Amino acid sequence: MSKAAILSGTDLSKRYGDLEVVRGVSLTVNAGEFVCLVGKSGSGKTTLLSLLSGLEKPTKGRVILKGREINGASEDELALFRRDNVGFIFQSFNLIPTLSAWENVALPLFPLKMTSEERRRRATELLDKMELGHRIEHLPSALSGGEKQRVAIARALVNNPTIIFADEPTGNLDSGTGEAIMGILNRLHIEEKVAILMVTHELELAKAANRLIRMKDGEVVS
Amino acid sequence: MNLRYMMKELYYRKRRTVTSIFGLAIGIALLIVINSLSLAYRQASRVPLKEIGADITVQRSGDVPREMAGAVFPCSAVTIRKEEVKKIQKLPGVKGMGTALLLWVFDPNRAWIVLGIEGDNSIGPIILRSSVTEGRFLEDGKPEALVEQAYARQFGIRLNDTISVAGNKFPVVGFVDASRAAKIAVANVYLPLKEAEDLAASSKELQSVSSYASGDVNLLFIKADEEKITGLVAEMRGILGSKATVATPDSFLKLLGSLFALSDKFTLAASLIAIIIAVLIAFKTMAGNIAERASEIGILKAVGWTNRNVVSQLMSESVIQCFIAGILGLTIAVVASFGLSFMKVNIPIPWEMSPVPHFLPGGGDQIFKTLRLPVHVPWNLAFFAILLSIIVGAMTGGLLGRHIAKIKPLEALRYE
Repeated sequence: MSKAAILSGTDLSKRYGDLEVVRGVSLTVNAGEFVCLVGKSGSGKTTLLSLLSGLEKPTKGRVILKGREINGASEDELALFRRDNVGFIFQSFNLIPTLSAWENVALPLFPLKMTSEERRRRATELLDKMELGHRIEHLPSALSGGEKQRVAIARALVNNPTIIFADEPTGNLDSGTGEAIMGILNRLHIEEKVAILMVTHELELAKAANRLIRMKDGEVVS
Repeated sequence: MNLRYMMKELYYRKRRTVTSIFGLAIGIALLIVINSLSLAYRQASRVPLKEIGADITVQRSGDVPREMAGAVFPCSAVTIRKEEVKKIQKLPGVKGMGTALLLWVFDPNRAWIVLGIEGDNSIGPIILRSSVTEGRFLEDGKPEALVEQAYARQFGIRLNDTISVAGNKFPVVGFVDASRAAKIAVANVYLPLKEAEDLAASSKELQSVSSYASGDVNLLFIKADEEKITGLVAEMRGILGSKATVATPDSFLKLLGSLFALSDKFTLAASLIAIIIAVLIAFKTMAGNIAERASEIGILKAVGWTNRNVVSQLMSESVIQCFIAGILGLTIAVVASFGLSFMKVNIPIPWEMSPVPHFLPGGGDQIFKTLRLPVHVPWNLAFFAILLSIIVGAMTGGLLGRHIAKIKPLEALRYE
């Protein structure tokens, strides 16, 4: 792993029964880099993202995140590692329907020893940055798709992550809203110097990335 | 555990929360009501004996008098010798004892039921002192009589009249109201024990059926340690023989015949069923709730919640729901118990315990002690029910939480 690399996957494979979804993939993401994984549906890009983020363990190969090999870590160790270093943005937003916007943003902070006011302050700051300062008390059901995704982005940032994993973040949004979300991710990457590894099947969106990795049938093709 | 998150989950999933709370509350209420009813029947069964200031009454049955003339013993209460009385008095668990002598006296023109009572003993018929409606209670060493009010009215007996019982004269010093008195060992005339002993000792008819010496009695009223009553009954039967009639709260409980009164086993079984129903309802609704939230749990784990964080969150939600259910169940039970406390029970008093010659008016009638069922929710039962609901909550939340927390975040997110 190079000096600036914060994430490195080496010879990663993932097999579900007879089906090998990821085949011997190696890749690196450097600090502050915006990398896009592109490929058609079923190419293995989401599975690779899960392996690299520690949501899933590889059948073969190893992942080093911030200098730590995460393959052998227990579920709880991985959870704590994610909480301290990683942010997630999902295609389907994955907000808790019973919590307000600011509470969803503060979700990773709930198990931490801090006051409710501190959590709220931190979440509100981030929602302000996402131009959602007026929607902090709204439930997800009262938010538009774009607003939900902006809440999800704020949640991904709440723990000051080193890297954000984004899985088709615009997949459930119309093109205009999708562009707005990409604008936010770009801004984050430039202003906050956060590394982003984004999965998408839309080449157009990948233009914003520093680097493009194409996948096909579980392998990196370019 | 995050309180805000917990409250919001319970608030926004109202239907499930309400179903869960009501289901468990009904189970808890059933548990409390069943046990309160059982306890009430138990308390009711103590009343007839309590009224006479005792926990146990002891008699011995014997032969029927050959001739109804002069003073005789009812066949249900013949001589208990003073040596036997002393042995019983010394039994461990006996806290105190009162004695009395019940006689049927057949005079040429009138039949009397006479009860000789101790004047210096707080246990037994002395309790009549509070039922004196006119005149005064018996004084020690004086040959005088108290007459039952209705009987006096029927036969025109007035205060300070002199009545003749088996040829012995007694001035009437007071009247007692039998409706306010105990239903056990009910008599028409109450005499000092010594006077009744003299009547018994001088009666040839009585002596020919059951030999009697001064100092013997035929009724014992015993105060005893509650937990030793069963053992005492066996020991008393050992002393008095197979014809001993020992009445305890348990024997009245059996007479009540209610399902709740029949056995502790029924109450235990019904309580267990109520608990199982409560646990199953809690388990089923919580399981549904948790399964519904699998993807949510995946999100929590993805954003850095550990298994322990997830379990403690789910457990606290479950505990708070079950605690609310416990409080609601307790409230329902208190209201139901209040309603049930208006219910009246008739406790039959066996003829043997208050014998009246069958050929006299009302002699064959069954005597009942009627009282309002003393249903109430005792503090310890209320505390147990709340504790139980918390334990049920902790167990269901803990077990289900541990199960669901084992799901890998990606698997849980796939539920979406």
